[in-house]
Amino acid sequence: MKSRSIGLALGVAVALGLPAEAVQAEALKIGIIESLSGTQTSTGRLFAAAAKFVVDDINKNGGFNGSPIEVIEYDNAGGSTGAADKFKQAVADGVHIVLQGASSAIAGQITEDVRKHNIRNPGKEVMFINLGAEALELTGDKCHFYHFRFTTTAPMRVNALVNAMKKAGELGTRVYAINQNYSWGRDMEDATKAAAKTGGYEVVATVLHEVNKIQDFSPYVAKIKEANPDTVVTGNWSNDLLLLMKATGDAGLKVRFATTFLDQVGNIANAGETALGHYVAHPYNIEADNTDFPQAYKAATGHLPVYIEPQTVNAVRTLGQALKSVDFGGGDIKVSEIAKALEKASIDTPMGKITVRAEDHQAVIPVVVSKVIDNPKYPVDDTKFGFGVVEIIPGPDAIYPVQASCKMERPS
Amino acid sequence: MEFLIISTLNGVTYGLLLFMVSAGLTLIFGMMGVLNFAHASFYMLGAYIAYTVTTTINFWLGLLIAPILVGLLGIFVERNLLRRVHAYGHAHELLLTFGLAFIFEELIKLFYGDFPVNYSMPDYLRFPAFTIFGTDYPFYRVFIGLVAVGMFVTLYLLLSRTRAGLVVRAAERLPTMAESLGHNVPLVFMGVFGTGAAFAGLAGAVAGAFFPTNPNMAIELGVIVFVVVVVGGLGSLEGSLVASLLIGLFSSFAVGLDWSLAGLLSWVGLGDWARSVGGLFTLTLSSISGTVPFLLMLIVLLVRPAGLMGERN
Repeated sequence: MKSRSIGLALGVAVALGLPAEAVQAEALKIGIIESLSGTQTSTGRLFAAAAKFVVDDINKNGGFNGSPIEVIEYDNAGGSTGAADKFKQAVADGVHIVLQGASSAIAGQITEDVRKHNIRNPGKEVMFINLGAEALELTGDKCHFYHFRFTTTAPMRVNALVNAMKKAGELGTRVYAINQNYSWGRDMEDATKAAAKTGGYEVVATVLHEVNKIQDFSPYVAKIKEANPDTVVTGNWSNDLLLLMKATGDAGLKVRFATTFLDQVGNIANAGETALGHYVAHPYNIEADNTDFPQAYKAATGHLPVYIEPQTVNAVRTLGQALKSVDFGGGDIKVSEIAKALEKASIDTPMGKITVRAEDHQAVIPVVVSKVIDNPKYPVDDTKFGFGVVEIIPGPDAIYPVQASCKMERPS
Repeated sequence: MEFLIISTLNGVTYGLLLFMVSAGLTLIFGMMGVLNFAHASFYMLGAYIAYTVTTTINFWLGLLIAPILVGLLGIFVERNLLRRVHAYGHAHELLLTFGLAFIFEELIKLFYGDFPVNYSMPDYLRFPAFTIFGTDYPFYRVFIGLVAVGMFVTLYLLLSRTRAGLVVRAAERLPTMAESLGHNVPLVFMGVFGTGAAFAGLAGAVAGAFFPTNPNMAIELGVIVFVVVVVGGLGSLEGSLVASLLIGLFSSFAVGLDWSLAGLLSWVGLGDWARSVGGLFTLTLSSISGTVPFLLMLIVLLVRPAGLMGERN
């Protein structure tokens, strides 16, 4: 009896003591659903590291809504089924904002899951910030109010490349398009064909191939040689780009490559001299950055910002800017308010200004066209090569028109 | 004509590369009935070991050391890991090698990072062997082909002309009988596994300098290697050679052929209709060239399940 009453007394004491802790501000939860294992790990980890860099910064300055922002990582294992799974888990964990970027296929899955979730759970919406998936359909027929894209798309990259290369006199009149056979690759092929008139070139041939399955690109090099182009435009990434360039170099074929992902880590190291003189269109080039951002990034993560990290930093910084303009007073977080604020947010970056287009939630970002050169200020991959800036195209000039297929329903 | 010759050249060299990696796998399966999922990992380890030796000492030494080290690793795996699971059946051996594949991949990532490393051949090997129709053919591809052929000849002679090869073949057909005749069958198995692994390591060391050396190498090549072994017949060395050449040639030719069902239908005048329907009809062979090996495997399995030169047992 005595122990029971002591137990009761203790229980009451604890229960009385608890309420003081329970009323805490709702923390903003960000879920990074990324390819943290599998073949795209190297890219997935970069997205996660860059996002956390900015969140750590925001938390150092007081966090949001009275508490630090929580970041939870989910490994989608590089596939859409994994992503769908992890999304359900993220929702169960109370995540408000989902970040992802390493694949258009996965982004397609996540954006649909987010849209359906929001229809079924009004008042408990989830937002998806797309850091790197560039397929047009995500701001086209798959667009919805709670998806924001903070990266370029195929037309943005292709148009930037074509214009810059034409100005430099290195485009030529015969263009070959080789791409991977999925949403992104097809977008690149369409964009290359669409820019033919303004670029003043003829698309001599196009080819699509499987994603990251081809080990031997020499048959493709034979095809390219047959078509005799001046420039090869490709949206290939990882092995597909590397093997293609190496095979072209080995065969002694003289073409200029206009790529979108030449700056992926490891490409220059492996391609070496073969990469000299080729072009890339990307959202950021460290050579043009005179701010202290690169060194601050290096101090926090151990390496200079590279590949998709800068665009991720910009995306999360824009989110941070949007967060500054909403105030929930320590109460429940309404994602719809954050989304509305994000639509109006804008930040200044070392490459130029970034704003968000309200019609399809595509961020209007500057595009840099660079060329692989010898002995730059910032050599990459422990080689003596790097990316020299050819042209920086401001956001409003680089952006593509709103797609007719995007019919966005706005919350009231 | 140019297309024919170039595609044949490309197909043969690619096929020989596939043979280099799959020779060990088919040998191991033929002798021990173990489908070694970690075989492609041995290939990757060979490449990384050769990279480490190349950057510290010498390229040729790397080609020598890598197969030896990987072979020793193979012996270690067989003796201390596989042998314990042997009593439980093939499924368990398979699972063990499957787990090993993951472990090797993560170990590589731990020591060398997630990104591709710059393992490449020395500059004096970087020249065209010949120029055909205006395209240079890199010498190193020919070198890979020569190594592959050398491998085949060595293995074939070892198995058919040496006493050890005789014992290996006997142990493969009737292990208990061979054991009762006094031969050390467990030692034979260990040797075969080690040799298979060593050949995979050599393949990695040679090919890793040409293709990108990254932690995904094993997965990328691993699937194709299984296709080669299945198509050629599990356990048959000659079958493995034939299958890898076939797959290399088919994949290579497929890239240059823009055949599609719509093109086929245009022979009977339905071409325009097929093109307007789109979808499957306009799918060209060239865009699915990476799938060709699997189609081949499907056909072979339907027509001759034991593989082209495998034994029905």
